[in-house]
Amino acid sequence: MIDPEARYLRTHEWAKDEGRGVFAVGLSSYALEQLGDIVYLELPEVGDTVEQGGTFGVVESVKAASDLYAPLGGEVVEVNRAAAENPDMLKEDPYEEGWLIKIKASNPSEFEDLMDAREYKQFLETEAE
Amino acid sequence: MKRTVLYDCHLECGGRLVDFAGWHMPVQYQKGILQEHLETRRSAGLFDVSHMGRFEITGRRALEFLRWVLTNDAGALPVGRAHYTLLADETGGAIDDAYLYRFSPEQWILVVNAANTYKDWEYLRRKAGEMGGGIQLKNVSEELAMIALQGPQSEVMLSGVVESGQLPEPKRNALGTVRIAGCEVLVGRTGYTGEPVCFELFVPAKAAEGLWCLLLERGVCPVGLGARDTLRLEASLPLYGHEYGRDVMGQEIPILACPAAKVGVNLKDPERRFIGREVLEEQSKTLKKGICAFRVLGKGVVRAGAAVFQGLREIGRVTSGTVVPYWVPREVSCPHHCGHGTGWEAHFSGQTAQRAIGLAMLEGPLGAGALIEIDLRGRRVEAEVVKRNLDNSCGPITFAVV
Repeated sequence: MIDPEARYLRTHEWAKDEGRGVFAVGLSSYALEQLGDIVYLELPEVGDTVEQGGTFGVVESVKAASDLYAPLGGEVVEVNRAAAENPDMLKEDPYEEGWLIKIKASNPSEFEDLMDAREYKQFLETEAE
Repeated sequence: MKRTVLYDCHLECGGRLVDFAGWHMPVQYQKGILQEHLETRRSAGLFDVSHMGRFEITGRRALEFLRWVLTNDAGALPVGRAHYTLLADETGGAIDDAYLYRFSPEQWILVVNAANTYKDWEYLRRKAGEMGGGIQLKNVSEELAMIALQGPQSEVMLSGVVESGQLPEPKRNALGTVRIAGCEVLVGRTGYTGEPVCFELFVPAKAAEGLWCLLLERGVCPVGLGARDTLRLEASLPLYGHEYGRDVMGQEIPILACPAAKVGVNLKDPERRFIGREVLEEQSKTLKKGICAFRVLGKGVVRAGAAVFQGLREIGRVTSGTVVPYWVPREVSCPHHCGHGTGWEAHFSGQTAQRAIGLAMLEGPLGAGALIEIDLRGRRVEAEVVKRNLDNSCGPITFAVV
């Protein structure tokens, strides 16, 4: 499942424009499927700054820890504590309730660097081969 | 990549296949690692372990050979029993750990790790050559599939499909032969989950699929390699490449640093010369480090390779670390006065939780209750050395020690 509104990194994080330069960030349903059971989420604090392509947290599945990469640079303005407490939420609703952080972008045009839904779909098809 | 005879079954069960030691194996099925782990502890889990190596050893000098190349004393293994053993090298490290089965008086089956099958086979053939005859080694990994059935309900489920013959007496490591679906199946009460009720089945390759399906029909949960690892780690069972072999720094791990190795190394008979004996005797007296179980008290999951500290001093490394799910124990008194539930059905209230645990090689070694700190991506997380993370002393079910 791919959200047509979102844009994507090759590392399967998505970003969605919420207006006023704020972007919600989460993990695509493909990534969540690949990770299997998620047991722990390490997320930043509100006020932390992140760079585009830089790590902003860690997702732990039973098997391994994987870094989370920021689709855009800026300041973390909201963190989904409910998701951190209950990582099952991510799989249930990866593109709405299962968002991870919200970023106030320092350069909103970075959004244009990301793959759109069609490009991401193609990317997943080539990954599968 | 190699496939076991149960490959199609894995696909049918929704297995997610990964490369494991050159084998296409399911890391999990549809339910996922956590659920598969919990089902094994509450009911029963079914595992394809056909990727492991199985060698048959026969011949006039077979026993003499086994008493020389293995650390446990095959001479002390009666017919109808199995035991844990290791292949030691001359420097006291492990070439592999293994299980030796004696189903009949003149025939032994040695089960070795998948990742080491080729290495072990070449090594054993060379050693047999050095003895100069009287030993027949046969790699039966392909003709004989292997399925593990583990958990409190596994005996009921297995009994339900047995046509004739007796299951081995309810004692760990007991062996027997039964007929299932017209085929002879060798049964051992062994396993790698810490479950008190446990079976490993050796079945002709052509009959493996039938047996797998029969057991699935009984309601047993298929379990992949992911939960196989969390189950063994919860029970503090060692894994070659983590607790044996080389550590993350490339150093050889002394066999007797691993508490589990003590049952697999037999030094009793002073007359028995076996490979690695001198060094192992030395280790049994002088070893100043050991592998300890721990539980993480703080937040986060620690993984293999993480440094362990007490204060400023680095005292070791994590050898295996993960998160395991568990059934939250009920707070009711136990008729056995062991602090557990009133009868095992009552134990499973349905409430589950998760905890981060692991094994670490520590200087000392440290006793239970010692507090340690473990590096987690640059910060330190507190942990406690424990005697065990799983209590399986009061069968038929196990209890998370939390």
